[in-house]
Amino acid sequence: MSVKYIPVQWNPNKWVYDAVMLAGVAAFLWVFLYLTPGALSHEWPINPQIHNARAFGACAFVMLTVILCIGPAARLDKRFLPLLYNRRHFGVMTAFVALTHAGYILNWYFAFSSSDKYVGLLYANSSFGQIAGFPFEIFGIFALVCLLILAATSHDFWLKFLTPPVWKRLHYLIYAAYFSVAAHVSLGILQDQQNHVFTVLFLLGAGAVIVLHLAAWMQERSEAAAKDGAWAEVAHVGDFQEGYAKIAKLATGDRVAVYLMEGKLSAISNACAHQNGPLGEGKIIDCLVTCPWHGFQYDVRNGRSPAPFTEKVPTYRIRVMGDMVEVHPDANPPGTYVEPVALPEPEPDLPEEGATT
Amino acid sequence: MSEKPFFVGYLPAPGPLRTFLLTACILLISGLAGAGFLMGAAQDDPGPGAFRFDYGRQTVTGVVEMTPYPVIHVTEGNDRIKPGDSFMMTAGGKSGVDGRAMPLNGQLAQVSGIVLERGDLYMMQLRGGRNGIQAAEGDAPDITPEPQGRWKLAGEICDGKCLAGAMRPGRGLAHKACANLCLLGDVPPIFVSTQPVLGEEFLLVVGPDGTRLPREAYDHVAQFITAEGEITKHGDLLIWEIDVDTIEVTE
Repeated sequence: MSVKYIPVQWNPNKWVYDAVMLAGVAAFLWVFLYLTPGALSHEWPINPQIHNARAFGACAFVMLTVILCIGPAARLDKRFLPLLYNRRHFGVMTAFVALTHAGYILNWYFAFSSSDKYVGLLYANSSFGQIAGFPFEIFGIFALVCLLILAATSHDFWLKFLTPPVWKRLHYLIYAAYFSVAAHVSLGILQDQQNHVFTVLFLLGAGAVIVLHLAAWMQERSEAAAKDGAWAEVAHVGDFQEGYAKIAKLATGDRVAVYLMEGKLSAISNACAHQNGPLGEGKIIDCLVTCPWHGFQYDVRNGRSPAPFTEKVPTYRIRVMGDMVEVHPDANPPGTYVEPVALPEPEPDLPEEGATT
Repeated sequence: MSEKPFFVGYLPAPGPLRTFLLTACILLISGLAGAGFLMGAAQDDPGPGAFRFDYGRQTVTGVVEMTPYPVIHVTEGNDRIKPGDSFMMTAGGKSGVDGRAMPLNGQLAQVSGIVLERGDLYMMQLRGGRNGIQAAEGDAPDITPEPQGRWKLAGEICDGKCLAGAMRPGRGLAHKACANLCLLGDVPPIFVSTQPVLGEEFLLVVGPDGTRLPREAYDHVAQFITAEGEITKHGDLLIWEIDVDTIEVTE
């Protein structure tokens, strides 16, 4: 959280994160480029330009797959949340790797012609009416454009300028890019391969993305049991833990984080003002709700970041009905103070009749 | 409830989480390296075609024939290329030599360049300008095409230059756009037959009545197809006049 923009707000965790991701990418490329030619027993080697293009293309696909697996993995198991922390940097790396792949393709397959290579890329194959031989390059171009837009707008300036909801929706383009890459690969290299190892790896990667997203969606769905009426049920009194939240999903689809701090309950929006991070999956640190994604902080009673920061999130009214904590679905304007509600002591479990202690 | 480790980006990672993250990082890096190896080592053999720079520059004399793609029938060869051989000619990049060969159609010419070779498929990339092709002294013998009848063939249309080794791999659907660019640049098209035809695997493929490969056939470049057409033998080169109306895509 910041009151000014600098290119990157570096800290030790970001250095480690980027170093790990760069090491992974470097390992992939080094092994593909320099180790595998020795393992291939071809009479004449694959052209270096084509070998390089394949290495960077395959690497971009794997990186995209990892990026898309991190989100649902963090929803299923909170220990993966640190992998979300600097995912934008990994996304920017992916855009550069994909751009390098495109560069090799453009400067090899579409070079050496009397026509301009960019023009050649668009007109050389116009067999749009068929599956086999479809100009799959068009899907690669679309995916690359998406990745470049995402990379260019990944900075916090754009987040603030576009507002988090718009920015978040724009960055759903990552899914369009992934589907497009899948089509690019399926209609391109997969049509030619005699060795199906790549096909199996491709299906495993794409399958992991689909399965993890479905699993995360189903878990959230089962947690968000239908809560009818004006007040929405959140959790039982005994379920709250000091410093942590319970998340309620409202009929509108919005999520509310109900925190227990110093024995009192307060409710704020679950969406962080920074990147819509899940505030309810965070923790109270120094009397402030701390977002698990990037550490943005809010006073749980009024939804405001401590001065000099200016971020604000909506607050909600809550009440305790018997053993159940409930939240009113109408959000207060961001930054509105709401008096915390004391959490009653949970009723002790009564021994069953005839039971002995 | 136990205290759950909670990560805040700008604070040191909690102890219990550190072990998990270290494991995840090691798995990620080794997984990426493993994926790189499996994907890199699974690439198919691009085939035996190549530029034969090791042969050195080749210079021979022969009769130029526009089929309509330029072919030379060798009358005076060298150690490697013998009289009676016929091969196609191309220029550097994705360009043919039609403009230079056309005025010499039916005449003796000396050609010079680098050979591309893939099994029985031979092609020469000529040097630039008159160094690559120029008129030669002497009478040109007649080259009489020998009709071989109508054939139904199965195989793939490729651009002759990439197939012969200018690119490895130089065929297949992933290479289709490049092949089309070559054909648009007047590089001779080749039909790769799944079965030998009169002892040959590679045929120069043209349109009916000595025309160029029809544009309708471009949609089927790099696909496995069957089609019918007349085959004629020019020197030791087979030329197939494809009938585009008979093209059928096969699995």
